[in-house]
Amino acid sequence: MITTAALTKSYRQIPVVRDVSFHCEPGTITGFLGANGAGKSTTLKMIVGLTRPDRGSATIDGRPFADLPNPTRVVGTLLDAAAMHPGRTGRATLTIAARMAGVATSRVEHLLDLVGIGHAANQRVRTYSLGMRQRLGIAQALVGEPSVLILDEPANGLDPEGIAWMRTLLADFAGRGGTVLLSSHLLHEVQATADHLVVIAEGAVVASGRMDELLASSTLVVRSPDPVALAAALRVGHIDYALGPDATFTVDLSGGGITPEKVAGVARDHQVLLSELRRSDADGLEQLFFSLTAASAAHAQEVPA
Amino acid sequence: MSMTIAARMPSGEGPPSAPPQAIPFRRLIRVEWVKATDTRAARWLLGLVAVSTIGLMLVPVLAPASIEQTYTSYLVFAAAALGILLPPVAVLMLTSEWSQRTALTTFTQEPRRIRVIKAKLAASMLLGGGAAVYGGVVTAAGLGVAAASGRGVEANLTAGAAAGFVLAALLNVGFGVALGALLQNSATAIAASFVLPATTGLLVLASKPVGQWLDSSTAINWVLKNQWGGHVPQIVFSVILWIAAPLAIGIVRTMRRDVT
Repeated sequence: MITTAALTKSYRQIPVVRDVSFHCEPGTITGFLGANGAGKSTTLKMIVGLTRPDRGSATIDGRPFADLPNPTRVVGTLLDAAAMHPGRTGRATLTIAARMAGVATSRVEHLLDLVGIGHAANQRVRTYSLGMRQRLGIAQALVGEPSVLILDEPANGLDPEGIAWMRTLLADFAGRGGTVLLSSHLLHEVQATADHLVVIAEGAVVASGRMDELLASSTLVVRSPDPVALAAALRVGHIDYALGPDATFTVDLSGGGITPEKVAGVARDHQVLLSELRRSDADGLEQLFFSLTAASAAHAQEVPA
Repeated sequence: MSMTIAARMPSGEGPPSAPPQAIPFRRLIRVEWVKATDTRAARWLLGLVAVSTIGLMLVPVLAPASIEQTYTSYLVFAAAALGILLPPVAVLMLTSEWSQRTALTTFTQEPRRIRVIKAKLAASMLLGGGAAVYGGVVTAAGLGVAAASGRGVEANLTAGAAAGFVLAALLNVGFGVALGALLQNSATAIAASFVLPATTGLLVLASKPVGQWLDSSTAINWVLKNQWGGHVPQIVFSVILWIAAPLAIGIVRTMRRDVT
């Protein structure tokens, strides 16, 4: 379980993370979504004690990371697969992690095979592709048999087969009661991997919750061969609408008082033929993401990740 | 390839694993020792220390006319090799985690950074002690070769000379460690480990009384030759100036630094 409370951090007076609070439950995979420079990495580093927040706090299983006696037995982290010693072999890198965690070094061989780099175990990390480093990094995160995983952009550099492999691995981990928090700037990656979502823009959380609830569209698209009659009917039915190009009506459902059934009923009562009545859920998350992050993108790119 | 991974269940079935305990300090030292010695770069550097110690030892062996054939005077050559190369070796033990960015991993494995620094200090002292023992062995071998050539050699090593030799090696390591801890960058700290003694060495030429307080090499040389008489204040001052103070500042910097 991961909890953050009002995490806040500025670099040289420029706010990078602002009042970030969220909660990750055991058995779930939380996608931490935001554009590059939105403050994802800084937030993750504050959770694991690498960066000191100006304000706020974070706990893992109720304790600050720095108070965990042997953190890698509780939290597996992969914050930057490029930050590995290039002169050390994959096996040596993992053996050091196993020693620190205090687990049997036999686990190293198991993990090398699990992440699929057993064939390259004796090669120096210098010779590894980014995808192989991600796999080694995931093995390193898993070495202490943690119950929590914190992964920063784990899909970076992985090929499609590797991404599918990682999804299975994380789903399995969460299925066994583990807690996963992974960041990504790729919407579809998060959509395919996570079941919970925290969206961050310009350092602040702009949306969070269950993926299916966030995905559920709050907008209804309505069309009729007789748009004039439909507009009159909606007005009489006290249903606010926006009229888009080519006579597409959009109705906001987010208040809860208006349902697709009610719209259909109003149309029937006024004998208006509907040619289309659907939730605009095709790109719901994408629209949400872009609407939340686009305005800040220009600014965010100037802020270091 | 099995997809099965073991997540420890917060409240699941199966035997609960023992509550994790703090990482024992011995284990931290061992890991730091491994990290200091298991990369190709580290092995090259340590190999260079080994070879150059032998190389410098050839000087007194091959030039018996100009150099006293005693254990003590031979030791000076071993000390010279160690004095040049141990500081950069020690620097890297403290800086490579920053330069290679492995601090990102290390400080999530042990967030009590002071323990990591202490373990690095301990490992560096073990390395310095090991290098001193090696230097002593090479010195003995050099004398052995000289004796085998039929030369008269003075091979009895006094406890004072041995202690001075070991202590000088440790001071050289401490100098490098402190610079590395302070500067946190391999290239800068290695450069400083050569430039600073060279600069203060010039100071000795310019003004001997001033230089003797400020030159780390002068202090280490007194310790090496067991010439504490009349120099204790200068030696102590040098150790504070070049080891204790930068180490203390470096530790504070390391404790506070945001790892990115």
